[in-house]
Amino acid sequence: MDESVRTAEAGRSAGVTAAVQHALGWLVFGNALGVMIAIPLLLPRLNPWLGEWTYGRWMMVHMNTALFGWCSLPMLALLFKAYGADRGSLAPWCRPVVWLWSAALVVGSYSWLQGHSSGKLFLDWSGYARFFFPLALLALWILLAIAFVRNRKRGAGERIKFLARLTGLLSLLPVPIAIFAASSPNSYPAIDPATGGPTGASQLESTLGVVLILLAVPFGVARPLKGVRRTASICCAVFFAECALTALLGSGDVSHRIPAQYLSLASVLVWVPLVRAYYARFEWTPATRRWRTAFLAWWAGLVITGWIMFLPGVLDRVKFTDALVGHSLLAVAGFLSAYVIFILVQVLGEEDAWILNRTWSFYAWNLGVLAYVVVIMVAGWVEGADPAFTIVPGTARNVLYVIRLLTGISMLAGSVEWLLASLALKTKRSVSRELELPGVKVA
Amino acid sequence: MRDRASASGWRGVALIAVVYVYFLIFAQFAFLTRLAELGVDGNALKMVMAAMAAGGILFSLLTPRLRVVPEPARRLRVGLAICAVAALLTLLPLGIAAGACVAFLIGAGLGITTVTLVTHLRQWTGDRRGIVYVGLGTGIAYLICNVPPVFTAAPEEQAILAATLCLIAMLLPLGSEPHAPEEYTAGTRMSFPIALVSFAALIWLDSAAFFIIQHTPALKSGTWLGSVHLWTNGALHFLAALASAALVQSGRARVALALAFAALGFACVLLQHPALILSASLFYPVGVSFYSVALVAYPSFLTRADSPEDRGRQAGWIYAIAGWMGSALGIGMGQNLGHVPLGFVVVAGCVVLAPVIVTIVRGSARETAVIAGAGAVAFVLYALMPQQASETLSPVERGRQIYISEGCISCHSQYVRPNSPDVAMWGPTESMEELHAQKPPLIGNRRQGPDLSQVGLRRSALWLKAHLMNPAEVSYGSPMPSYAFLFADGRGNDLVAYLSSLHGPGEQLQREREEAWSPTSAALASANADEGRRLYQRHCATCHDAQGATRLRWLGYWRIVPQTLPELRGYAAQQTLGRIAVISRFGVFGTDMPGHEYLNDQQIASVALFLKLAPMQDVSQTSTH
Repeated sequence: MDESVRTAEAGRSAGVTAAVQHALGWLVFGNALGVMIAIPLLLPRLNPWLGEWTYGRWMMVHMNTALFGWCSLPMLALLFKAYGADRGSLAPWCRPVVWLWSAALVVGSYSWLQGHSSGKLFLDWSGYARFFFPLALLALWILLAIAFVRNRKRGAGERIKFLARLTGLLSLLPVPIAIFAASSPNSYPAIDPATGGPTGASQLESTLGVVLILLAVPFGVARPLKGVRRTASICCAVFFAECALTALLGSGDVSHRIPAQYLSLASVLVWVPLVRAYYARFEWTPATRRWRTAFLAWWAGLVITGWIMFLPGVLDRVKFTDALVGHSLLAVAGFLSAYVIFILVQVLGEEDAWILNRTWSFYAWNLGVLAYVVVIMVAGWVEGADPAFTIVPGTARNVLYVIRLLTGISMLAGSVEWLLASLALKTKRSVSRELELPGVKVA
Repeated sequence: MRDRASASGWRGVALIAVVYVYFLIFAQFAFLTRLAELGVDGNALKMVMAAMAAGGILFSLLTPRLRVVPEPARRLRVGLAICAVAALLTLLPLGIAAGACVAFLIGAGLGITTVTLVTHLRQWTGDRRGIVYVGLGTGIAYLICNVPPVFTAAPEEQAILAATLCLIAMLLPLGSEPHAPEEYTAGTRMSFPIALVSFAALIWLDSAAFFIIQHTPALKSGTWLGSVHLWTNGALHFLAALASAALVQSGRARVALALAFAALGFACVLLQHPALILSASLFYPVGVSFYSVALVAYPSFLTRADSPEDRGRQAGWIYAIAGWMGSALGIGMGQNLGHVPLGFVVVAGCVVLAPVIVTIVRGSARETAVIAGAGAVAFVLYALMPQQASETLSPVERGRQIYISEGCISCHSQYVRPNSPDVAMWGPTESMEELHAQKPPLIGNRRQGPDLSQVGLRRSALWLKAHLMNPAEVSYGSPMPSYAFLFADGRGNDLVAYLSSLHGPGEQLQREREEAWSPTSAALASANADEGRRLYQRHCATCHDAQGATRLRWLGYWRIVPQTLPELRGYAAQQTLGRIAVISRFGVFGTDMPGHEYLNDQQIASVALFLKLAPMQDVSQTSTH
């Protein structure tokens, strides 16, 4: 085999493989932490075992590694593929970027455990870690930028793809600075004065951010099918209309009880059928079917329950309760996890999809998440009427928390299986490379 | 030809277990206790221990060179016999000189036994799964030593046990034919100098930590006292020994030593923080077992040796230098410093981890360079960023930073929703201006505990401190962890200052609201004195019972000492039910009496009814928590 082809394929494999393994490593780590810190809520006598690294400090590690580790690292694999960074002479630099990302999370985790935090949930980056993590983002951007320039010179992209990649690159450029700035204690988004939570306009804005990612990702990893232009046009029209609506709503501190807020937020419901239709206009490998169905189901559940829980009366009852914890889990463990696994399966291709496609772990994860959400929402609904339900734990609360713990163990078991399976990726790939013929690339 | 017993390896397992038990429960433990009983301490004790080390070093080095008893099984029996006799001699009333002689005998016996055992271990374990048997023998030994009746036995009983085990081991059919060594091929071999310094560093760490734990009552009670601790230690030792054997067997001896260092080093660092003793007690046994397996497996299976004599000489050097000298240096560190300095842990880490780090760096040069480069840039940027020194902050500002550091936001909100039941429970609402002036606002999104935005109105500084020190004692059923460690320095008081500062200008209005409040008529109608008594026991007795835990703990600090139940009843008899309910729910302003805002109207009414109407004989049924 031609040496350059061999090097290129080896580099691609190493970068994507590293992103998959690191992502799953952080998933297992985050899940294990979740299980660990759920136990003292049932058995407070075990709290001394944690020493000074108490529940509150571990919570920061748990939440941030879930978001910036598990949910973010698969996007690196996607970007490597989308920008062609995993091919050619750049390929060997993909793995160092993944390692740098994980190193930043290790530094962050240690810093949170040591009590360094900005005080902002999901943006706890503080002190040294607040500089380190944006540098990891910057390193990724530089790698993608070089890949973009290199592939442009080779004429590898068509015009639309070229513009899409350029737009993506320009959009990613401010992210490191944005993360740094957003972690500052001096900035804070608009507040709903009736609940202390985000306003309807903020919720609409963040949902549109997620929608934008959902619309952009397929172009990076899948082949468009006939009719995509029409569906994409409809999606773009709705997207820009909702952006205009967000602008009209403004960014002030506005109550969710104002009809303009909850009625405007209702506009996100249209994305339930639209996202489904949009994803049907791309060619996905058959192995993605199971996780595509799961992610669309979780997306529907997330959007619909998200809007219902924002309604006056409902939000007033569930705010600050376990019900919102359930909704957050639905977002991260349900929708986001199913989505990133779906993307990983697509990036890995048919040959390696098996690591994330085993039946028992699929159900262990998804049924675990579903049961968790149901149980914790029930607990939250009760708590909404009786705060003592949580503050002075009784039998009913403890039973619900035991079930929650079991669902967490179920999710952990599923994720451990994926991680262990992913460790075989390297071996499998090196074997398959040896079977390659000159000029024939491994998918 | 080897018999079936040799192939099964049980003799090897038994021999390793016996020698380790003898060393752990007798030489390292019972003998010291026995010397203390006999009044041998101070310099005399050092002399006795030096004699043991001298015997150990001398005979570790001499055993492979001596031709007196050339046959391995017979030499092992001689070593075991010396060990047994030495153990039994400690039952006599020894003086300093006699103690030193016995100590020398113990060292000599151990030197002969250990070097002979590892030199010819394959003869008793076979080659194929020899390292697994080493793990099993080591794990069993540690497990036996941590069985509570064994661990807590008198030193004389432990000496008899050790001697008995040695005598039983002597009776084992050890065979007499020399074993033809087979080449051990699994994994990468460690070079002898690297192995020697790695073992020396690990044993130094272990011995220092062991000495410090044994001679610090607080550490000892947090790690070795009680059946639960001992069984946990035993199980951890056993599992770690098996894990270590699996790693070494699969050619990852360096990884096993690296993990041993990680666990031991971490335990040594944790031992410096009283709040983390329990966590240290988890890591210490894991680290010890990880290296203990390698300490036997390395000279037995992993060294490059041309002959049994060569293997024996290498084993002798390892046990003499790493074992005896490393142990003596560790004990000296524990005696003189009372802790393991962080710098020493780092140096030990460099020694043990160097081979692993070099391998990783060689295989991942790009990754290492990128991480190091980014790390350096981040460091420069961080250094250039102006930082506010904590000394320039007020206690309230520092307390706010501690609130953030501890992640209190994960369980406590700081937002009272206007025109909602929140106001009655948690106090007046803050304005948006007040909220945005906070950098950042600490609204939170969850209430595992009460909202704290107005906690300064509802709780006294003393109550806050008592609660932070021991939440479950003050607040029934609280799952909140203790933050007593914050009071070891100034952080706890800063946090109390911050929490006390949390209140807005609406205090007067809030007091009026509280005075105007009364339980609903439905709640009053369904009030139940029996339930009231149960709630009183849970929420009130800790302060109001004459023997209440919180009452006694803070006896000299109360602004007004809480009334006892009979006094409360006397007071309640003169008040309306509504008034008692208001006090139960909102506390007494200007005292340390807290409210119980999260209890519902019916529960509050029940408590009030219990205080006002319940018969006096109920007093005897109350209890503290």
